[in-house]
Amino acid sequence: MRLLLVEDDNMIGEAVRAGLRQEGFTVDWVREAEQGDVALRTEPYALLLLDLGLPRKSGLAWLRELRRRGEATPVLVITARDAVADRIAGLDGGADDYLVKPFDLDELAARVRAVLRRHGGRAAPLLQHGELTLDPATRRATWKGQPVALSAREYALLAALLERPGAILSRAQLEQRLYGWGEEVESNAVEVHIHHLRRKLGADTIRNVRGLGYTLAKPE
Amino acid sequence: MSETQTPERAPRPSIRGRLLAWLLGALVVADVVMGGAAYLRAHQDLDDLLDYQLKQLAFSLSRQSLGSVPVLPGTPSPEPDFITQVWDRDGVLMFYSRPNMAIPMRPRPGFSNMDWNGQSWRVFTQLDGVRIIQVAHPLSLRREMAADFARRAVTPLLALLPLLAIGIWIVVGRALKPLSSISAALRARTPASLQPLPHEDLPDELVPLVGALNDLLQRLQQAMELQRQFVGDAAHELRSPLTAVQLQLSLLKRASDAQERASAIERLERGVQRSNRLVQQLLTLARQDPQVPDAATESVDMNQIARELVSDFEPQAALNQQTLRLDPATEPVLVRGEHDALRVMLSNLIDNALRYTPAHGSVIVRTRRDGPQALIEVEDSGPGIPPEQRLRVFDRFYRVPRAAAEEGSGLGLAIVKRVAQRHAGEVSLDDAGAGTGLKVSVRLPAFAPPASR
Repeated sequence: MRLLLVEDDNMIGEAVRAGLRQEGFTVDWVREAEQGDVALRTEPYALLLLDLGLPRKSGLAWLRELRRRGEATPVLVITARDAVADRIAGLDGGADDYLVKPFDLDELAARVRAVLRRHGGRAAPLLQHGELTLDPATRRATWKGQPVALSAREYALLAALLERPGAILSRAQLEQRLYGWGEEVESNAVEVHIHHLRRKLGADTIRNVRGLGYTLAKPE
Repeated sequence: MSETQTPERAPRPSIRGRLLAWLLGALVVADVVMGGAAYLRAHQDLDDLLDYQLKQLAFSLSRQSLGSVPVLPGTPSPEPDFITQVWDRDGVLMFYSRPNMAIPMRPRPGFSNMDWNGQSWRVFTQLDGVRIIQVAHPLSLRREMAADFARRAVTPLLALLPLLAIGIWIVVGRALKPLSSISAALRARTPASLQPLPHEDLPDELVPLVGALNDLLQRLQQAMELQRQFVGDAAHELRSPLTAVQLQLSLLKRASDAQERASAIERLERGVQRSNRLVQQLLTLARQDPQVPDAATESVDMNQIARELVSDFEPQAALNQQTLRLDPATEPVLVRGEHDALRVMLSNLIDNALRYTPAHGSVIVRTRRDGPQALIEVEDSGPGIPPEQRLRVFDRFYRVPRAAAEEGSGLGLAIVKRVAQRHAGEVSLDDAGAGTGLKVSVRLPAFAPPASR
């Protein structure tokens, strides 16, 4: 799950990125709205984490701009402004949720998951497909009722496929989801992860659509 | 009027009482003067009138023959108004109007005053060839009449005095009513509501007072507003380092191996240091508040402070592979002010410069005596500040958007500016002499001790 973090404070940005990485998210971090714009246009992000107190352009103005031009990425606003009026302005400006500084890393992660869940049109916290169940909060998978040990990348890849069952994701799309900026992607990394997943979950679980990419097999 | 009563206190002078006393006193004095004037005037008129009557009486007596007039006592009148006496040529009394009033004959004709029988008399003597006619009239009568006249002129005003007193009391009370409405309005003011007092319908005399009070209220309100803003800003700004600390703490708790833990602790330490520095600077700024009265001022040598600070910062600069150099003036650069505040100011400048200067960069601290001014410059080889942002950097909590910069509190230059302003000085930002970088110049009024002149 790839997130874009827009935060001008070095310490907070560093800590949020480190914390969310531990939660299995891929986090790209920029410090200004302008850089955020560029990032949003070049990479598909599952969610935008936006600090409102940005230099040059205020986060709120940028958020309104994004929504005006039809940007649909869910946005979680992080801010030091805690007045009710500020929260209302933030939510009405197009934010999906609002988190006031100082906040807890676990709460941030939980809110990120909740926003992603709602955005995917799901109410249940678990991702399910046939005999396969993923719990985004604990990043644990069960297959036919038995827990399966997954690496962080394997989990992220499986979660991407489970989010919209039936959709076909290309290798490039999966790479984008798995790797943030500056992370080295080996040329056959996706294939390797798929290979491992198939070994753990059975060869038929993930189908390879020739020339297009990967999708989950319809449950029996 | 006052609700707080101090026991055994001399009665306060009251405008109302004073006005009443003065006005009534003036009226009484005016009345007395008027009475005196009326007396004098009446006396003069009576003199003219009665002298004329004396003369007329004498003439009428001289025209009528006295044959039929009894020589011996005429009809005694109850009051000794006019006393008429007639003598013949030989000085034999032929007629007198009052038997027991034998006024001696005046030798010269015409008017004269004389004292006789314990009374002052006005006498008119006439010689008509055969007789001497003398008419006299007591002067005391004239005085009585004039006094009576004056009394009558004075009495009505005196009788009206109590009524006038009541009238003055009421009118003055009415005129002073705006004062009590002003004090009621003032009493309703609180630190939260310092709106100006209404000044419509005020008498002319009170407008300056209310104007001055409104000025004061406005200054108070501005001070309160600044304070409120400062507290709000401070609360807002404290959140960032605290958020960092909280997040770093979460990371520390999650750390699974020794290496992760070590790096989390290191980050946490930096976060705590940052919070600490912010709190320190907030306190400094609050102490340098324009509302806080001046601490004791003394003669301060900026050369000395610069020397101390440069040696204090030297290890830090060396650690970051930066060069910190002092370029002092040859003579002492004296300034009159608060030693600690001036030290904090220069310390902030050097700290800022080192913070924004990359490794292998340099920072120069310069002190000079420039005519009537003391000049302190801190020049760095950092990235500088674009001219369009140079005004804003003095705002509290403003941080120049620079990705590589260490987190500053955003208060450093605000503190520098505040201290400089308190010392009647100014701060300016320029490009450094060579290449990139920033030069901050502080100009303060130089202080020349009287002995050195």
